Parts: sequence; C-alpha cells; structure tokens
Amino acid sequence: MEPFVESLQIWLTSTPISRVMNDTLWAWPLSESFHFIGLCLLFGIVGLFDLRMMGFLKRLPLGAFHRLIPWGILGYGINVMTGFTFLSGAPDQYIHNPAFHIKMLFMTIAGLNVAVFYWLTYQHIVAVGPGQDAPPRARMAGVVSLVCWTGVIVCGRLLTFYRPPFHWCFWC
Amino acid sequence: MDWKAFFSGVESSWLSVWVREAPTMLAFPTIIALHAIGMGLLVGANIAMDLRVLGFAPRVPLAVLETLFPVLWFGFWLNAASGVLLLLAYPTKALTNPLFYAKLALIGLALAVTLVIRKRILNKPQLEDTPVSARGKLLAGASLALWAAAISAGRVLAYTYTHLTASDFW
Repeated sequence: MEPFVESLQIWLTSTPISRVMNDTLWAWPLSESFHFIGLCLLFGIVGLFDLRMMGFLKRLPLGAFHRLIPWGILGYGINVMTGFTFLSGAPDQYIHNPAFHIKMLFMTIAGLNVAVFYWLTYQHIVAVGPGQDAPPRARMAGVVSLVCWTGVIVCGRLLTFYRPPFHWCFWC
Repeated sequence: MDWKAFFSGVESSWLSVWVREAPTMLAFPTIIALHAIGMGLLVGANIAMDLRVLGFAPRVPLAVLETLFPVLWFGFWLNAASGVLLLLAYPTKALTNPLFYAKLALIGLALAVTLVIRKRILNKPQLEDTPVSARGKLLAGASLALWAAAISAGRVLAYTYTHLTASDFW
C-alpha cells in the first residue's frame, strides 16, 4: 500500500493543477468558495429530498420535487472537481488524514445508497403526492443519505484539525 | 472607544477562551462544523425556492415552497448562534476586517430578497397558475447571486484578516 500511496502523492504534486493551487494567490480561496457553494447545492437539494422521504415537508409532491435533483448533482460535480484541486495542491494533508479517510468512507456509502435507491426504490416514489408517505425503503434511503452527507460536511471541516500524523488513528 | 481594550476584554472572557482554546473537539471544531451544516440548510432551502421561482420543477406548486421555511430558519438560527460563538472567539480577527461587514450586509440583503419573494410570489394564490413574472425571476436570480457572494466573502475571511487577536495590535 505504502509505495502506491507515495507514487500517487508524487504524481498529484506534479500535476499542473497542483502548481496553480500553490503558485496563484487566489486559487485556494476561490476553489474553496466554489466548494462551499457546491455544498449548498448538494446538501440543500438532496437533503430536502431526504427529509421529504423521511416524512417531513409532506406538502411537497415527491416526484415533482425530484426534478430539482440535477442541481444537487451539479453541486456534487463542482465539489468533486474543486476537491481534486485541494487534493493535488496539498496531497500530504489529505492522504494520511483520518478525517479525510472517514469523509471518503461516507461518500462511498452515500454513492452505494444512491445506486440502490435508483435501482430498487425510485420507481415507487415518483407517484408520491402531497401528504402521502414514501415507502419504508425510501425512508431508509433518506436517513442513510442525510447521515452520510452530514458526515461528509463534518469530516470536511475537521480535516484542518486532524492534520497528520494523528496518534489515535490506528489505521494511519 | 478603546478598541484594543474592548477586544482583549472579550477575548479573555471564559466563553471566548473556551471556544478558542478548549482542547476538545466539542469546542471550535464542532462549532465550525455546525456553521457549515447551517449554511447548507439555509442556503440550500433558499436555492430550492429560487430554482422553483425560476421555473424548474414546475409541478411543485409555488405556495408549497412555504414548507421549506422551517428548514431555512433552522439553518439561519443555527448559523446565527454558531456565528456569535465564532465572533466571541476571534472578535479582533472579524471586526478589523472590512470583508466581515460586507459578509453581514450580503446576508442581510439576501434575507430581505427571500422575504420579498415569499410575500410577493409564494403567498399569492391568484398567481399560482400563471408563469412567474420577469421581475420575480430577477429577484430569484439576485437571491442566488447574493448567497454565492456571502459564502465567498465568508470563505475569503480566512485569508484576509490583518490582526488575529487583540495582542496583535502594537
């Protein structure tokens, strides 16, 4: 594992993005601003959809509200791209950072949850109108999604406090 | 007014010291994480409302957007509370940076636009079946731009402060 991580780190540092992030005064804050705007798109739209599936905001027709989901996906896309600029700008701050590892774990679970949702559940929620309950498996998908994205935000913020190496991190 | 004495007075209060220096994840790290979650809820609910006013998800009735406001206000109060704690922790850092006042002004303007949209567009049942006017869409666009500017101003605060604490003067 170590040689792979090391070569990944060397490669990331050699990318032009890494150079821009480190040599341009405004690159880092600009990228962060976009990352936070993407956060609002993703957590806002997808989070509201999750809350509706969980049984809150019941006046919203679920299928009709789903039409806003592409904007949440846009936020996800913005954040994956800006996230890569941070990662290549300072790989050592992330690759060995337990908060980053847990953030990636939450993102993986959220991704699997999305796949399962569109595979098995989506077809049962399109017709859920105002005041109606979503089926139990949709409720479950909403809980998993909301917990994961909240976890992603918390870990993202904690990244700066868990700069490596961290003594308690048994897998680091 | 002696600003240095004021800032160092605030910074030596127990709450300020706790938020800034307590060796626990429950102090500064948790507060700043809550500030990000509150932002996601406040701005996210605003974005959903603005997008619907702009014409996306047309089968969601405009009046139903009223249901988003508890989420929006929950995010707002979470961030007002966590923001006050962060300000108590680093009053010099925030209050000596003009950008901090710009951030507050942008948030105030954005909220004012939200309330105008709520009053003029969401609470008008007679408008429900007609397309939103160009003026209404302009308001929604302004709302999106103001929130984006407020977020960017907040992020750039971390890079533009001149004095971190009162002891940085003189």
